[in-house]
Amino acid sequence: MHSLYARVNNVSATMSSCLMALLAAIALSTFLFTADPKGDLAITNVKVTAGRDRRYRNKSQDYALVNFNVSADLTPLFNWNTKQLFLYLEAEYENAKGGKNDVVIWDRIVRRKEDAFINVVGKNKYAFKDITNTFKKVPAAHYALKYNVMPYVGALTYGEAGRTLESLEFPAAE
Amino acid sequence: MGNSLKETFEGKIDFVGQKTVDDISRIALIVITVVSFIVGFALQSLSVTFAIFGGSSLVLILLLLPPWPMFNQHPVKWLPVIETKKGQ
Repeated sequence: MHSLYARVNNVSATMSSCLMALLAAIALSTFLFTADPKGDLAITNVKVTAGRDRRYRNKSQDYALVNFNVSADLTPLFNWNTKQLFLYLEAEYENAKGGKNDVVIWDRIVRRKEDAFINVVGKNKYAFKDITNTFKKVPAAHYALKYNVMPYVGALTYGEAGRTLESLEFPAAE
Repeated sequence: MGNSLKETFEGKIDFVGQKTVDDISRIALIVITVVSFIVGFALQSLSVTFAIFGGSSLVLILLLLPPWPMFNQHPVKWLPVIETKKGQ
């Protein structure tokens, strides 16, 4: 006859199967939400300054300074399974050797739906430099506002909320 | 004394009782899962989903796991001992 331990075993086994099914259903339900909000991205100014490498002081290093305006309403991305958004601004260019460069120059973590209306006038948060130490041979770059939707349960999804229509040249270093 | 303590913690129930427990737990857990998903989806809140799932699971555990008297109402009736003729 069933002892207490046999019942604990049976009930907890069924319960964990049900919990797994519930989590799978929640993860799949995310695909029902197909919001694709678009915002405005304007690069107001790109400047290159000649400087020194931060670690090797005798090495010269060019830094690009980018000013931008971002306005986007990302509230549609918040559904029941959205934990937070990772929003980032990326500079995209191909270098002289044909390698594709995606450089994150600004980001923001949006934790609440109330904070998802983005209106930022800003400049790059992270040092923007090319691996060749100079922007002389770097072609014009596109800028794109992208996001990751981080769910409580399920897969991380990527999206793009804005992109510059034309590529922007890097000016000569000052 | 030791024996009765052991029996208390073993918490045995009869065969009819254990079928009842199995049936109730299976059906109730599936219903809980479906209801918690639907209500949470309707209210767009994962905390509602897990509150319903966790809360009703807790009630279910208290209802099904202890050897309540209602699961012990069909004790096994053993056949009477048959006397053998070995003693002749």
